[in-house]
Amino acid sequence: MNEREKGGVPDDALIRATLAGDDGAFAELMERYKGRAFAVAVGIVGNGDDALDIVQDSFIKAYYKLKEFRFGSNFYTWFYRLLVNQAIDRWRKSARSAEVPFDESWLSEDASPPDAFAYPRTPEDLLRDRELGDALQRALDALPEYHRAVIVLREVDGMAYDEIAKVLGCSVGTVMSRLHYARAKLKESLKAHREG
Amino acid sequence: MDCRAALEKIDRKADGLLPREAEVELSAHLDGCPACAAEDAAISATGDVLRALTGIRAREKSPALDAMWTRVRAGIGESREELRRPSWVARWAWIPAAVALAVLALLFYPAGTDRSPFHPSTFDVAVEDVESEVATVALVDKGEGLPRVIWIIEDA
Repeated sequence: MNEREKGGVPDDALIRATLAGDDGAFAELMERYKGRAFAVAVGIVGNGDDALDIVQDSFIKAYYKLKEFRFGSNFYTWFYRLLVNQAIDRWRKSARSAEVPFDESWLSEDASPPDAFAYPRTPEDLLRDRELGDALQRALDALPEYHRAVIVLREVDGMAYDEIAKVLGCSVGTVMSRLHYARAKLKESLKAHREG
Repeated sequence: MDCRAALEKIDRKADGLLPREAEVELSAHLDGCPACAAEDAAISATGDVLRALTGIRAREKSPALDAMWTRVRAGIGESREELRRPSWVARWAWIPAAVALAVLALLFYPAGTDRSPFHPSTFDVAVEDVESEVATVALVDKGEGLPRVIWIIEDA
């Protein structure tokens, strides 16, 4: 059972209800995954508005493809495959150059100042070190799309290697090598920022 | 442990694949090696910084995310309408099909049969009486085994 289902209706039951014509069941399914879906999409495309469109389009696509879902498999793995493909397509089509500026209104007065050696661990900390956020975004943008997808699925969503492999349609070994490469590139950008 | 071995272990630790004993060993090395400690700090921070970055984007778009079902429901409705409507391709697909059939008929009608194509030169026409004030019906009968052609001529 998926952790999101604990104490609630299982995903499979919501899918069956949707297929029987209950759109409210699909709304509940969407509520379960929209936050995670947005985090993954924004991690891949780097832009909040694009990420919202991707999440919306992915759920619409999922609604119409739901009859192709194989019961017994994970809905979110199946859905993430749609989502990541949409995000990668969007990334390829868009000539992305504009960085999304940080909104300083999120800065809280009691946020702790950055330590000389430690890295930001929360959004508030990162907002105090905007250049680091920009440096990380640039490093992410420079990664090939499937490397970006791997590190976002792993670090942001917390997916297991075998689940990532299913979503991206590749082997676990490929996932691990892409993850290693992506992490090394991001680490370099963090270190360069800290040392520079 | 030398720095080369420590760097390998740092990578494995980031992947969550380092056994507990090896992690203790690595930790001892990091305590005495600032360069490796910096490497470890940076690599283990990538996930945190990435999550913080996406967290900022999620907060910025929180209201829109709350209204996601409204957007999705509208999109489902629009797609449903589009599915009901015949597409541009479907609407005009009969034209190339009709042209192809006409070309095939012209090319192959006489072939495969010993019958010469019907070209009425003289008309043995019988005009039928019909109960119509707007059309004349003519029957062209070329003989046995040949199709009877019915002409419907709209009166001016």
